[in-house]
Amino acid sequence: MKIVRLISLISVILLASAMVGVVAADFTTPESIVAADKVYVSGITYDPAVFFPGDKGTLTVDITNGNTETGVNVNHATVSSDTIKITSRPYDTSNSLGPAQKQSFVFSVTADGLTGTYFPVFSLSFRDSDSLFYRAMVKIDDSPLVLTILDKPDTYSQGKKKTIYAQVANLRENEVKNVILDVSGTGITTTPSRVFVGKIASGATVPVNFTVTADQPTTLHLVLNYDNGDNPHTVNMDLPVTFGVDKKQANPIISNVQTKSDAGIFHITGDVNNAGLETANTVTVTSLSPAVPQDPYKTYVVGALKPDDFGSFEVTFLATNTENVPLQLSFKDADGNIYNSVQDVKISASNTTAQKSSGSSTIPIIAAIVILAVFIGGWILYLKKYKK
Amino acid sequence: MKHSIIDLLIRPGAFFQNAMNEEESLKFPVLVVLAGGIAGAMYGYLIGGLTGQLLNGLMPGMGTIISLTTVLGALIGTFIFWVIWTGVMYAFSIVFKGEGSFRRTLEFVGYGYLPQVFGTLITFVIALDYIPRIHVPQLTAAAAQNPDLMTEAVKTLMHDPAMMELSQIAMIISMVFLLWSANIWIFGIQHSRKLSPRDAALCVGIPVVLYILYMVYSLTVI
Repeated sequence: MKIVRLISLISVILLASAMVGVVAADFTTPESIVAADKVYVSGITYDPAVFFPGDKGTLTVDITNGNTETGVNVNHATVSSDTIKITSRPYDTSNSLGPAQKQSFVFSVTADGLTGTYFPVFSLSFRDSDSLFYRAMVKIDDSPLVLTILDKPDTYSQGKKKTIYAQVANLRENEVKNVILDVSGTGITTTPSRVFVGKIASGATVPVNFTVTADQPTTLHLVLNYDNGDNPHTVNMDLPVTFGVDKKQANPIISNVQTKSDAGIFHITGDVNNAGLETANTVTVTSLSPAVPQDPYKTYVVGALKPDDFGSFEVTFLATNTENVPLQLSFKDADGNIYNSVQDVKISASNTTAQKSSGSSTIPIIAAIVILAVFIGGWILYLKKYKK
Repeated sequence: MKHSIIDLLIRPGAFFQNAMNEEESLKFPVLVVLAGGIAGAMYGYLIGGLTGQLLNGLMPGMGTIISLTTVLGALIGTFIFWVIWTGVMYAFSIVFKGEGSFRRTLEFVGYGYLPQVFGTLITFVIALDYIPRIHVPQLTAAAAQNPDLMTEAVKTLMHDPAMMELSQIAMIISMVFLLWSANIWIFGIQHSRKLSPRDAALCVGIPVVLYILYMVYSLTVI
């Protein structure tokens, strides 16, 4: 009997001990559950806001204790997702969140998924209550910035500066930063060679203009660098630079050429008409070898000629033993590039006139011979008559 | 002179036949040659003026010097040519055994200059019309360093259409009146050197024809 009582007593003691132990480990109370209910996710921030596939970034979860008098203890925070890989450790330490206090949990993430919308789950464990779960939506988008050429020259000319008008558009739903356009190419001078754009907001466009001076036909490389968060990205574009006739270029033409010779010095007068669509600046006319330019008009400065405008010129030079003399016509474009064209001018006109005069001198020669013959014949007849 | 100028110009045979009866005198021939010289000087002044314009740019006053030289040259040159023509014809007449003094020959040749006075005056009047139309190139001082330029300048002047035309007209007129003079000279030489008409014609005709051929040649090579 004593044994049974003893066993019963021990059993009661053990049960009581077990019950005390259980009470000591579980602090969950109705109050703590109510307090935990008032803890909420007050903010979710992804950086970048929208990921490229493979981008690395951060997820910041802001937790706010909505209680005004009661604090809560949190002891584990983590994020779980198949497409957004968490690369940082979960929060495993116990932490007290006071009334109305806010705490941020930052996770390093990598976007492993393809383009789409994903819902990683943030979970927060309370010491005195159940866990908090929150779906933190994130987007992955592989749309790059769009580099567009708005206007560019049809063709290029050696040494002539041409402007290219480009535009950068951000089709993404988030802002990108550190946007820089690099322009390069062999035998090319670009101004500027690097254009800093900075940030481009979602849906915004930014004009980017630069000039290109090409010394040879080549390819122009455009590299648009930008950062999505801290992830660098690049857009490449190649533009062919081909030489050809500029359809708008100023085109001075010499016309109404008149030649006269004066003391062996030829005077050529004429007009220069600008048949192009751009202004020809500082138009000059001079003669080239075999002609030797002479004063007073070794070189004639016509000046600026607008499209369809014209100006007169006069050049003087010495030339012997030649029928054609090349006239060089030079002008500058708006950038100061010099263009030359050569046009041959026939200078034998005055000589021709002289030759014509020489040719007509056969008439007086014939007349002279006839008169002489008449005189001699007359005297012969007279002498014959005198003899008789 | 007891005989009319008309006789000299139209009937030179009769004129010189009568003149042989008179004493040798160079008064009237000198006047004729002087008139020819003055007419030549006037024409020379116009032509010299063109050359003066051409060279005026080389040195100030060059134009005046050229004009004076041309005037004096024409004036004196006419007398020199008178003597030369006489000498040549006299020399030819020696071949044909002519008789008579050089002075008499000089006198008769001097008479023969009269048509050329008219010819030169006509040329002068025509030149007055042509000279303003002649474009004279202007040489600069720098051109003096360049012989090619000088040559070209002269060539340009000579090839000027108005200048060419004037030269041709002057040549024809000069030739016609020279032949008229030659006609007179033949009778003059015939009488002064006592030659047959044929010999006299040869004495005068050969040098005159040669001279005319030279004039024509000169015109062609300009």
